[in-house]
Amino acid sequence: MKVALKIWRYDGATGEKALREYEIEAPEEATLLDCLDIIKDRHDGTLAYRKSCRMMICGSCGMRMDGAAVLACKTRMAEIAASGHVPVISAMGNLPVLKDLVVDMTPFWQKIRAVKPWLDTGYVEPPEKEFVVPQAEMDVIHKESLCIMCGCCVSECNSMEADPDFLGPAALAKGFRFVGDPRDRATVERLQAYSDEHGIWDCTRCYFCNERCPKGVDPRDAIAKLGAEAMREGIDSDMGARHAKWFVTSAKTTGWLRETELVPKTQGVVRSLKEIGFAMSLLRRGKVPPPFPPHVAKDVDEARQLYELVEREGHEGARGIVQLEKPLARLERHEAGYEEAAARGPYGPGSFPKPYLPGENESTEEGAA
Amino acid sequence: MYDVVVVGAGCAGMRAAIEAYDTGASVGVVSKLHPTRSHSGAAEGGINAALGNTAEDSPEKHAFDTVKGSDYLGDQDAIEIFTAEAPGDIYQLEHWGCVFSRNEEGKLAQRPFGAAGSPRTVYSADITGHVLVHVLYEQLMKRMEEGSLVVHEESFAWRLMVEDGRCVGVVCWDLVRGGVKLVTGRSVVLATGGMGRIYRATTNAYSCNGDGMAMALHAGLPLKDMEFMQFHPTTLYPSGVLITEGCRGEGGYLLNRDGERFMARYAPNALELASRDVVSRAETTEIEAGRGINGSVLLDLRHLGAEKILTRLPGSRELAMTFAGVDPIYDPIPVRPGAHYMMGGVATDNWGATELEGLYAAGEVACVSVHGANRLGGNSLMETITFGRRAGRAAAEHALASGRRGEVSDAPARDAERDLAQLLSRTDGERPWKIRDELGASMLENFGVFRYPDRMERQLELIQELRERYRNVVVEDKGEIFNTDLTQALELGYMLDLAWCMVQAGLAREESRGAHSRPADFPERDDERFLKHSISRWGDDGPELSYEEVRMTRWQPEVRTY
Amino acid sequence: MRKVAYYKGCLASLSAKELDVATRALAPKVGLELEELESVTCCGAGDIHEAEPDYYLHLNARILAYAEATGTDTLMTVCNVCTLNLRQANHALKGDEALLARVNDNLVSVGAPAYSGSVDVLHFLWLVAAGEGYELLKRAAHRGLQGLKIAPFYGCQILRPSKLLGFDDPDRPESLERIIEACGGEAIDYPAKVKCCGFPIIQAREDVALAELVQPIEQAKEAGADAMVTPCPLCHLSLDAWQSKLRKQTGKDFQMPVLHLSQLIGVAAGLSESELKFKRHVVSVEPVVEKLAV
Repeated sequence: MKVALKIWRYDGATGEKALREYEIEAPEEATLLDCLDIIKDRHDGTLAYRKSCRMMICGSCGMRMDGAAVLACKTRMAEIAASGHVPVISAMGNLPVLKDLVVDMTPFWQKIRAVKPWLDTGYVEPPEKEFVVPQAEMDVIHKESLCIMCGCCVSECNSMEADPDFLGPAALAKGFRFVGDPRDRATVERLQAYSDEHGIWDCTRCYFCNERCPKGVDPRDAIAKLGAEAMREGIDSDMGARHAKWFVTSAKTTGWLRETELVPKTQGVVRSLKEIGFAMSLLRRGKVPPPFPPHVAKDVDEARQLYELVEREGHEGARGIVQLEKPLARLERHEAGYEEAAARGPYGPGSFPKPYLPGENESTEEGAA
Repeated sequence: MYDVVVVGAGCAGMRAAIEAYDTGASVGVVSKLHPTRSHSGAAEGGINAALGNTAEDSPEKHAFDTVKGSDYLGDQDAIEIFTAEAPGDIYQLEHWGCVFSRNEEGKLAQRPFGAAGSPRTVYSADITGHVLVHVLYEQLMKRMEEGSLVVHEESFAWRLMVEDGRCVGVVCWDLVRGGVKLVTGRSVVLATGGMGRIYRATTNAYSCNGDGMAMALHAGLPLKDMEFMQFHPTTLYPSGVLITEGCRGEGGYLLNRDGERFMARYAPNALELASRDVVSRAETTEIEAGRGINGSVLLDLRHLGAEKILTRLPGSRELAMTFAGVDPIYDPIPVRPGAHYMMGGVATDNWGATELEGLYAAGEVACVSVHGANRLGGNSLMETITFGRRAGRAAAEHALASGRRGEVSDAPARDAERDLAQLLSRTDGERPWKIRDELGASMLENFGVFRYPDRMERQLELIQELRERYRNVVVEDKGEIFNTDLTQALELGYMLDLAWCMVQAGLAREESRGAHSRPADFPERDDERFLKHSISRWGDDGPELSYEEVRMTRWQPEVRTY
Repeated sequence: MRKVAYYKGCLASLSAKELDVATRALAPKVGLELEELESVTCCGAGDIHEAEPDYYLHLNARILAYAEATGTDTLMTVCNVCTLNLRQANHALKGDEALLARVNDNLVSVGAPAYSGSVDVLHFLWLVAAGEGYELLKRAAHRGLQGLKIAPFYGCQILRPSKLLGFDDPDRPESLERIIEACGGEAIDYPAKVKCCGFPIIQAREDVALAELVQPIEQAKEAGADAMVTPCPLCHLSLDAWQSKLRKQTGKDFQMPVLHLSQLIGVAAGLSESELKFKRHVVSVEPVVEKLAV
């Protein structure tokens, strides 16, 4: 097939930038990485990009296609080529570019290292053999342990764009990999450290990280798990935590958000007094609903009782979020033809025949149908 | 100058670096990739140690399976050390936080693997290499914080520095900034991995070019058993990426185009879980007899059901869906044999020491030899850990005992700069990719699963031709920053030399043993003439071949059936 | 008329009352019969999901159960955050029998209806950007927007994560553009239309939030927009009410009017000021109204 690409070239030595277009012949199954290889081999040996495993596990080839971070090795080109669209390939965002599609990952790794990403078993002497841990407890960190450190989440993190010091989705997901590990004994210290100014509560919940992650880590969910664990441990003095807790208080008292009290409950009375001028400007437009009489939901008693019940059941903290994941894991975008296969099932009409051992008489009737 | 320089940062390199550091040495790690990008991370199915968590097992059983799997070419003293120390190394990894899968009791789960007498493969779903690489890098980062462990990432090690009969460091090309730099140490550990990229169809990453083997070869060191390249039976069609043996360990079937479980005709007892060499030959025979589909057979997981596939083999499903458009819950996966693992490598003793003082090697680059003529699935990750640790320890002890040395000469840097300048100054000539592609295709054709004398002869001639053409390759990128055009050209030179060693050793081994199969002229194993290791050394006119005895302890060669 | 259960959420009950008023007035014109849910609470806005995840799940299950009890199969939202929170809970409950059974036991024990899993959560935007709703919208928007330049601002949680939302292409959405054009306006394109407005951290990390907020407003201004439109009352609040803070921070006075989606369609459909309640906006919508009056 013919594939056309536009690539943002960047020369780190001179600072020159240029958008170059390439048109190549590639095999039908070619990925974006395969196309870059063809360009580099046959058209322009100066093109720079990282690659290694070409099977979505080493995390080398994160880059942007039409502004969205992807793994080049995971991106099949046939559909795009057939549509006639000429995608623009560029280096990932939120990291300095070294050359063409190669970014400087140093700031990325600095943040990973900042979360002290190694198991801390504290003063517990490890057992002679393995730590005995039920699989269900290890499942809590399953998604975070899938991370390949490619940087696709960081590339488009809106908070990091606004605050370059934000620890960011990859580092915080790595942090949860330890906070959620039953063998780790530094949970409180970690949660305190991650609750700093540029930590958990800096996340703006734009969900770009979940959208871009090529491995299903869902870093935003990992950040929520950290928040959940922090509040469970009583590490809740940050304004972000106070903000979150006020919603719980609101729901179990009036059912609806007690919006006007949210600012003082989040920022504290003193700080919110400084905002009085701003508040007055909103008040004039009816944007500050009076707290009294409160807006109370009908049958709010049910919500109150539910709170009591839920408290007793013990699905708290990160586990309360993890319990939502099982059905979510099945939500994947599939190749064309998937629906069809799912509809007929593994042995339905049109499927490959049922297996048989040599000497057995062919496959069974329904399998061969 | 570091006490220990570790070249390569996959499982073996990182494990060696950690051990050397913990022994008290200062450590510099040199890697052409960031450590977590290393190809160890692509290992899927698991890591073998006789823990006995699922069924009764012992290091002795593990050793016997390994010896038999090696077709009796493995060095039995090394294998006994390996299987005895493996369990402790696994517990160490677990204590560091490795995210292994668990059994019902909460202990480490173990699954059956090919040619193993007991389920002894510890795993993490089907991303075992990934979790190992990450836990080792975590431990590396912990030691980096303390200061005397430094990682020179994206530095391409290219030549060994040898002074007064001792290895004193490596010559590198700095990929990020450009330029030659020397990283020097009192000991050097090679842990650069394999060389599957010599073949067109391979599970190996683009970075697996045999750098370390070639560096050692050109420093005059012996390479051992280079004719033994393992072909993995289940590499995905068409991309060649690995689909784990764990699929068969969990109960997957191999089918020909008729739906027949053909392995019953080749290995009536072990069926799909026969040794890899056996399964790859069976598949090739089926395909050559016209019972394949598109040059492939089928790996059928459908009967395992969605739940098992989603929990135990999610990575394989993702690979099949992404690269072959097949969801294994509903359809069988097209697979074929592909180059996977070099059993041979830099000859070492049981502590990873090579013939050259101060130089050690561990992992796929090395040949201890634990794997002999055929490696068992799950033994390579274990080898990286156990022998990575041993090499790291030995290298550190050597360095700490060898005392302070004066400055080493920087002449190797001048030489390297001169040679690179010469290569970069060439503006007319052939681009390397054609030579690379021809090497890959011809090695697959002439030195693959089955080997025939005329084809091997032809391949030797072709390699000479390609080496001749290589003398005239042109590097287009003349810049300093991230010049992979340059490093890829250097890698190609390595691969051509190694291919020569491989084919030469293969032609001379007039028998069939493990992964080396000569169905036309020498279909049987010949213990009388060839129960010995081949040794390749670089001479004035290319590699020179000799042989060395296999170290036997308690197992005499027997007929090998599965 | 398509009957839908209407969940207005917190803001449309409080500081963004104008959204509720406009939506109710507009609904019959686009074929929607709204049955407002009364016995419901806040969805938790992502905050309860984080502070008390299991409570979040129960609160949302309860909302879904009350929606189901109205006999409709659609729960209509007018807020991105409500949409994501409800869809996320709905998906988890539908996909895990054991989880649904436990939550239902609890719902029933406090006197709420049980949830069987038959409800789909759809944002108002999706109901009028395609199908029957879109056809009715084209007819209803007879008064038009007379070529007014409108910058669509999607916000985050109606696009991402797309595996839970999935109506629009998360990087190249077009539903708002379709509506703007159906209403006779001109849709302005600008990169930040799919980015974050900063609202979730506007109280806890105001500087960071403002650095996000400035992007869409500045880009919309530079692209010549007369107004912005958003399907989310939280985005609306930050775009509209926090604009004055941007003036202090950047020295630029954008004066960019921001409309709720229901208001934009409402203007085109000829709703009156009492139904649109532009006076409740912080940034004056007067210039827009004037342009349309010409």
